[in-house]
Amino acid sequence: MATREAGKKMIMLKSPDGMEFEVEEAVAMESQTIRKMIEDDCADTAILIPNINSKILSRVIEYCNKHVPTTGATGAAASDTVAPAALAEDLKIWDAEFIKVNRATRFDLIQAASYLNIKGLLDLTSQTTIDTISDNSLEEIRSFLSTKNDYLPEEEQTIRRENQWAFQ
Amino acid sequence: MADTARARARAPSPHRSLPEEITIWEILVRLPPKSLLRCRAVCPAWRRATSTRDFLLAHHARQPTLPLLDDLSSIGYGGHSLDTIPIPFPLEHQAATGRLQSVVRFDDAYLRLFASCDGLLLLSMANGYLVLCNPATRQFARLPLRSGFIPLGMYPHSPTGTGEYRLLLYLSSSKLVPDAQAGYYILSVGSGQLPRHIGCRDVERLINTFGSVIFHGSLHWHRHNVIMVFDTTTELFREMSAPVAPGPANLFEMDGMLAASIFTDPTTSIDIWIAQDYANEVWAFKYRVNLPVAELTAQFGKINKRCCVVFASWDGHVLVLAKFGDWLLQVDMDGKLVASFHHRGVGPTQNRLKQSLVQHTFFPTLEGYVVNASPFI
Repeated sequence: MATREAGKKMIMLKSPDGMEFEVEEAVAMESQTIRKMIEDDCADTAILIPNINSKILSRVIEYCNKHVPTTGATGAAASDTVAPAALAEDLKIWDAEFIKVNRATRFDLIQAASYLNIKGLLDLTSQTTIDTISDNSLEEIRSFLSTKNDYLPEEEQTIRRENQWAFQ
Repeated sequence: MADTARARARAPSPHRSLPEEITIWEILVRLPPKSLLRCRAVCPAWRRATSTRDFLLAHHARQPTLPLLDDLSSIGYGGHSLDTIPIPFPLEHQAATGRLQSVVRFDDAYLRLFASCDGLLLLSMANGYLVLCNPATRQFARLPLRSGFIPLGMYPHSPTGTGEYRLLLYLSSSKLVPDAQAGYYILSVGSGQLPRHIGCRDVERLINTFGSVIFHGSLHWHRHNVIMVFDTTTELFREMSAPVAPGPANLFEMDGMLAASIFTDPTTSIDIWIAQDYANEVWAFKYRVNLPVAELTAQFGKINKRCCVVFASWDGHVLVLAKFGDWLLQVDMDGKLVASFHHRGVGPTQNRLKQSLVQHTFFPTLEGYVVNASPFI
């Protein structure tokens, strides 16, 4: 296993398109999936992350770097002089910038966060989709998620009647 | 395998969407109940997937714990409403003036909200009946109880997972029920049986102590610097040490621990304590929330000390709801004003609601069972 700085264990993550990312173990362990692999001793050499391309994986690592607690990778964020509330505020602003991506990338990030089991990233990436579903018509939801409506018109009417108050 | 993965990674489809599994278990499972019900009309696959018991339990588990507010403002207009604050928190840096959200509205006044558990509310209506209602499924039914029984708590009968709910009731020796023995009773909801007498210990302690907290399969009340605990399995009462601190306290659950908020005197600060070692009744001081009372009073009016509650919010932080004049104020753990609601007749209750669309077999068996009909408006 690679070691960059004293006391900081490094882990190699590999994307299926052949890119390698060396990250601190603490950063990689923001992912519960990777944490389990490391704890089960399945991570001696590099860890192959299936189905997540290098573009998405690098963004996921960027997120984990920013969110890893204690004196981790981002020295500035972990400064002792910054109050916890200010840190949380700083993270919120950073998150808002991070998530300014197109729909396809957001969907990729949701899938990556789901597979890697990174709760914060999943909350962040799924919120826009949740808002879209909450605020739009059924037709718009179908088009947004490319879902086909295979209800017969009368079937759809029955379902609407069953939960009438949800459509008011 | 690597080649397939590489090809997939390099050639994103222009109409790419989420896999159905992810859509259902990561997205739909997080929707508010009303949006989820609407989504059942999107396609049959979504309807099937979101109607299973497993899905509905997962959905319930992800719902935020909402503070319930008693809204008396509509009573004069022939109704009564329970409200909550909007979620998520406003992201703006400036404190926002917000509008409360209605959880449920009735065309008849209810007298009191007694308990809330797993998305169910236990209320007494103006006509004297005790009722159960689920604001998310809009189910409503009467409980077969003669007047005189006072509910002290509602809980799922675990660990069987049968979906049975029970009420802990108190009956005082009164003329209302002359043939019944005073003391504590258990009612199994929907069983068709009469309340079962379980004893009459310490009867005066719990009356008028509202908002029991369910934790570790027991109901908890804070009263006179002692915590009363009712073990729902053994059906025995015991006392538990409370944090050693003066002032009225409220209990709540935070990060999977039993917590207490204590209003220190004078009412400018609230201390948060955590039962660090629940089994050995060891409490630890967690932190103090300082309310900028002078500043808030100048801006909004006089503080109503009795209308102040502390909750663990959905993002793991503590939030305070306090009434100043005609305003309900939402203050964060740093004492910073987060949101203000101009609403004269509304006050926080000790009850919280975690909404649920899980179906209960007992509902249709109860008297006066309705779905989405009066008294709902």
